[in-house]
Amino acid sequence: MAEQFQEPVVEQIYTLNLGPQHPSTHGVLRVLLDLDGEFIVKADPVVGYGHRGHEKMGENRLYKQFIPNNSRVDYLSGMIYNHGFCLAVEKLAGIQVPERAKYIRVICSELNRISSHLLWFGTYVMDLGGFTPFLYAFDDREQILDILDRVSGSRLTYSYCRFGGVTKDVDWQFLDMTASFVKRLRSRWPDYHNLVTKNVIFIHRTRDVGVVTPELARQYGVTGPNLRACGIPFDTRKSEPYEVYDRFDFKVPVGSKGDALDRYNVRVEEMEQSCRIIEQALDQLPKGDFINGDAPFKVKPPKGEVYFAFESARGQTAYYLVSDGSGYAYRCHIRVPSFGNLHVLTEVLKGTLVADAISILGSIDVVIPEIDR
Amino acid sequence: MAKKDEIVQKLRTMLPEDAVSADEAYKAGVVFSVRVPLAKLRDAASAFNEAGFYLESITGLDFKDTAELVYHFNCYEPKSRIAVRVLCGHDQTPKTLVDIFASAEWQEREVRDFFGIRFADNPDMRPLLLPEDADYHPLQKTFGIVHAYHTREEIYG
Amino acid sequence: MESQTLKSAEPVIKFALLEDILNLARANSLWPMTFGLACCAIEMMAAGASRFDLDRFGAGVFRPSPRQSDLMIVAGTISKKMAPAIQMLWDQMPNPKWCIAMGNCAISGGPFEYDGQYAIVPGAHLIVPVDVFVPGCPPRPEGLIQGFLALEDKITKGEDRNILRRFHRKGGKS
Repeated sequence: MAEQFQEPVVEQIYTLNLGPQHPSTHGVLRVLLDLDGEFIVKADPVVGYGHRGHEKMGENRLYKQFIPNNSRVDYLSGMIYNHGFCLAVEKLAGIQVPERAKYIRVICSELNRISSHLLWFGTYVMDLGGFTPFLYAFDDREQILDILDRVSGSRLTYSYCRFGGVTKDVDWQFLDMTASFVKRLRSRWPDYHNLVTKNVIFIHRTRDVGVVTPELARQYGVTGPNLRACGIPFDTRKSEPYEVYDRFDFKVPVGSKGDALDRYNVRVEEMEQSCRIIEQALDQLPKGDFINGDAPFKVKPPKGEVYFAFESARGQTAYYLVSDGSGYAYRCHIRVPSFGNLHVLTEVLKGTLVADAISILGSIDVVIPEIDR
Repeated sequence: MAKKDEIVQKLRTMLPEDAVSADEAYKAGVVFSVRVPLAKLRDAASAFNEAGFYLESITGLDFKDTAELVYHFNCYEPKSRIAVRVLCGHDQTPKTLVDIFASAEWQEREVRDFFGIRFADNPDMRPLLLPEDADYHPLQKTFGIVHAYHTREEIYG
Repeated sequence: MESQTLKSAEPVIKFALLEDILNLARANSLWPMTFGLACCAIEMMAAGASRFDLDRFGAGVFRPSPRQSDLMIVAGTISKKMAPAIQMLWDQMPNPKWCIAMGNCAISGGPFEYDGQYAIVPGAHLIVPVDVFVPGCPPRPEGLIQGFLALEDKITKGEDRNILRRFHRKGGKS
């Protein structure tokens, strides 16, 4: 039998087009893969299929008219982006925010972070083939969306934070629901750990898969949980504290190897730390105004610029606003974390199997409309 | 000594006196703002690379008299963002930073898409966000509906 | 078979009961294609998840391949770079096929349509023939389910002949 087998004479590179329409948990991403058998020789992501012109709209909209755009840049952390934009404009224009509003915004941002990580968790395990955690994660996520829906009116794209505070005050029912949600989520950790973290198939598909070294991460500007999985404890909430984050006691979870399993562990631990922040914020929530009544309705910041960085669910995000003194921004640039997180794949995907490529793509948690803006 | 002070010391030796302006209060989100002439861009970027910084973002700005590129570098220590501002005429081609910081490849493609500023020696100048056959540059102030078109003096004084 | 008045462009011989059964079968087992472009995709996923179960309407199997699906839900903003892909996917779907435009962006460009917009196609109806428009930004999963039920009504040719459906739209005709 063995003597009948002939080695192939010519090796051929086969180009496979992955996307832009595929089981779309990531948005519209197209990756051109050059394959040698089952191994990837070259990976070239093509983005731009979700380009909507946010930056040009930023120059054509008053500051308050641009608020709805922010949630749609990264729709999974819509509240965090909304919060960050309001903070950027408040810093540029010098608008004060009352204490109660600061705490309310932090609580809503952390709830949004948990919901984004839950969605990532559900869809990542579904990409790997397990359907059950998706249903459990979405059930928990619906509890968060109920809370945020009651207070802001929207489930996914919020315009809740305004310049100087928030639109509506929170009542005792919001505080009640948030506290009981945190308790309920904590009771679910054993379920998730038994279902996924200790699952042999999951461990085999994520351990040592898609290793990102710290040097690679620095070269490509990777931030967020992907960077923390490499071992670098860099979190914008700790390095440039904004709002009231310096009053809370929370840890920054760090991995060691930079593989997909570390990225998973970092995100699960981040959900727990967000629960801690929410608990402390609920304890410290003061009474007072929920918006600064003196904030101008049509904001006209003085001439100048601001580069405001905050930590979204995907990494370090920043709004770079240049103002010329009128109600319209002269330049509105959004620095998005998924830009670098996706770009690093051109290095990481070399030499991996196609099945591992799906696991790696899922584990870096990109949202493509964020890259495309 | 903190990394940001080290790198600023090094930059001060390479650049003229008034190129570095400090902002301890972090009012604009950067702790130092450095004006670098176009010819010294790559040297400055190499210095940042050796000091362990990462390239956070490249932004283009379009004015009547000139265009400007703003490079934001950051490191993993608290409050260490440094902005490097490079004035570049509408027809000039800055040198690429791809071999120093790998993330510059996509950032420069995006700036070229939006402003039409070509970067010399960038191996890949295909459009990143616009369709492949796009020949317009949307964020130029001569494209589409524009509310303000100023010179650089009018904003930065 | 009952005799009916002939309308133009209809077959000469009508097997009314068979068509009814076929349409009922098609309506109650719509297989959507996963075509989430932007934010509305998340609400589509939430509609298929545990709380707002789409599977109870027969529409729970989302097929990744256009060849195996009969419903395209355009969920999200259509950029000019993506438009040829949508056309190609629609052409690949076998007949009979339907299209739901979900969300304001797919209906008319949504919050992104303004006088100087250069990057999007303002509405899915400019590329593919849309049957049901579901407004909202993003529409709640219940809204998407209402869109599904409206499409099922449309497939079974309106509720005056459809005695099994309990869903009524005011005005009656689809």
